[in-house]
Amino acid sequence: MGIRVFIADDHPMTRAGLVATLEREEDLEIVGEASDGVEAWRVIREKTPDVALVDIRMPGEDGVSLVRRIKESGLPVVSLMLTSYDAQQYVMASLRAGAKGYILKTASPDELARAIRTVAKGGIYLDAEVSRVVGGQEIVPEALSNREREVLILTSKGLSSKETAGRLFISERTVQTHLASVYDKLGARNKTEAMLLALKYGVMTLEELLE
Amino acid sequence: MRRRLLAVLTLAILLPSVSVLLAAGVGIFQHQRAIQTVARTYVQDLAESTASRVELGWGLTESLFSSKPPSRFWGNRLFSGGVGIPGWIAVLDSQGKVVISTPGAQILAELWRPQMPIGQAVEAKNAAGEAFTVAVYPAGSTGLFVMAAVSWKELLGPMLHFGLLLPILVALVGLAGLVGVYALWRWVISPLKTLEAEVSSLEWGKDLPEPRDDVAVAEIGRLREEFFHLAQTAIDRATLWKRYALDLVRVQEDERASLARELHDGPLQDVTAMIQRARLAARDDGESTGKSTHLGLLEESAQSAVREIRALCDELSPPWLELGLVGSLTELAERLSRHLDVKILVEADSGVGDALPKESILALFRVAQEALHNSVRHGGAGEISVRLFRDGASLVLELEDFGVGFDVPEDLARLRVLGHRGLANMEERMALVGGILKVESTPGVGTRIRARVPAE
Repeated sequence: MGIRVFIADDHPMTRAGLVATLEREEDLEIVGEASDGVEAWRVIREKTPDVALVDIRMPGEDGVSLVRRIKESGLPVVSLMLTSYDAQQYVMASLRAGAKGYILKTASPDELARAIRTVAKGGIYLDAEVSRVVGGQEIVPEALSNREREVLILTSKGLSSKETAGRLFISERTVQTHLASVYDKLGARNKTEAMLLALKYGVMTLEELLE
Repeated sequence: MRRRLLAVLTLAILLPSVSVLLAAGVGIFQHQRAIQTVARTYVQDLAESTASRVELGWGLTESLFSSKPPSRFWGNRLFSGGVGIPGWIAVLDSQGKVVISTPGAQILAELWRPQMPIGQAVEAKNAAGEAFTVAVYPAGSTGLFVMAAVSWKELLGPMLHFGLLLPILVALVGLAGLVGVYALWRWVISPLKTLEAEVSSLEWGKDLPEPRDDVAVAEIGRLREEFFHLAQTAIDRATLWKRYALDLVRVQEDERASLARELHDGPLQDVTAMIQRARLAARDDGESTGKSTHLGLLEESAQSAVREIRALCDELSPPWLELGLVGSLTELAERLSRHLDVKILVEADSGVGDALPKESILALFRVAQEALHNSVRHGGAGEISVRLFRDGASLVLELEDFGVGFDVPEDLARLRVLGHRGLANMEERMALVGGILKVESTPGVGTRIRARVPAE
């Protein structure tokens, strides 16, 4: 049985193009479409697709909220964010809301199909273009210490250094030191990159981020 | 009721002056009459008593020395040492010839008038114009006359002086009052009226009043100088605003022109190329290799157009602003640190600024954008710290760099006119959302910018 896919996008041309692209894939089945967030939620509850392709910007309810709603409902639906924005903060917001992947609309049909298959199997998919920003070469990062992982997870959840320090009963300075070490080991230049790279390399899981 | 200063002041000075003048005039008149009465009574009494003594003495002499003229003895007894009181007495015969007199009585000859009434005091003046009161009295049946005179000056000397001085003093007081009213008019009221007329007819921000008034009192002069200064400031402001508005329009036009240029040079060229490739692909229907080449190039052009339009969108109004303040600032910092190769640290407590209105988020974002660019472009900063925190009822965005710094001008708005719009824009952005911008900078040390907005 193929992967049951739902598409939510307010642009009819884009939707038609996506449907045409995905219908070519034998293992994918389009089970529903919606042009806004409210309708999308109705269809998702009705059809319970395996993967929901969700546009970030939609009338009614935006993609990030919709993804959060799906996550909170406990439905066995995996969300994959589909957008034309390459801003890493969108990726962060999507992942924090519970999306399993992030793909740009300019991605090739093969990439899109691969992304759907990846998330359907429980993996995380980050668009190549966003990943390129994050750092192209595949490396095996140096292992993080437990403290470094804790600091990274709390920081990735959106806590400031001060808040992280308070949570872990360490000084703000120590938090900064740990973070600098994490950046160094992952090859990241900032918090966002550190989080995305940690997810990409499996240093941190999405579940840990959403806990 | 509107009180008229001139009328009040004039009356306040004139009324007392006039009443003093009137009262003094009446007093002087009364005084004059009193002197006259006193002098008359005195002279009359003097003449009368002397006459009675002359009559008595004459009778005695006549009985003793038959009809001889009065002896020296008699005369000496009568007038020895002159009279004890001021005045002169003379005994005259019916021809007016002096028979005997007190010393210095030759003055009486000067005062003698043939038609002088008998038994009644009259005022007379000597050749020098001095006032005297004179009385002629018959000495009984002797056929002699007693003439008595008193000098006003001698009788009432000090009182007379005072009586003459008083009108002069009063006149002086009155004159001083008039001079006071004139001075008040010329130095205070007239300048005030002129100033008032100028103020009420002045077109603020356009006209200038006279800068100085050298006639008016110093206080009014200063008032006018202040007024001139205010009017000058208003004109400066108006000029500044005009240039300001012109500058805003110019900036808008420049931005439109630049946007049009970018659209023309970028996406428009790409889409044109796409059309060409689509046509070529359609024409090369039979040739599969040519067709796929054209389609490949078409996709390439389309990808390029997407990238360019996305960049343009980010520049115009980043869509990621909807992610909230922290998300937007983080994205901005990360992009800039990549493009400009600088270290930008963003520190924000979780949830801070989530409840902020959209306008405030946008304003803070633009302030951060401008400040970060300035730090790198003008300050040459290699590391910038961005902090976002709550401070009481405010939310504070603080940007600190360790760049070259600069001398902060007092009036950021003036910078706009000089062509440096960045800081002026930041300040305006803040003002529009009820916030405050504070710029601190020390050359050689760095710059700190604090943007504070109400958080509730």
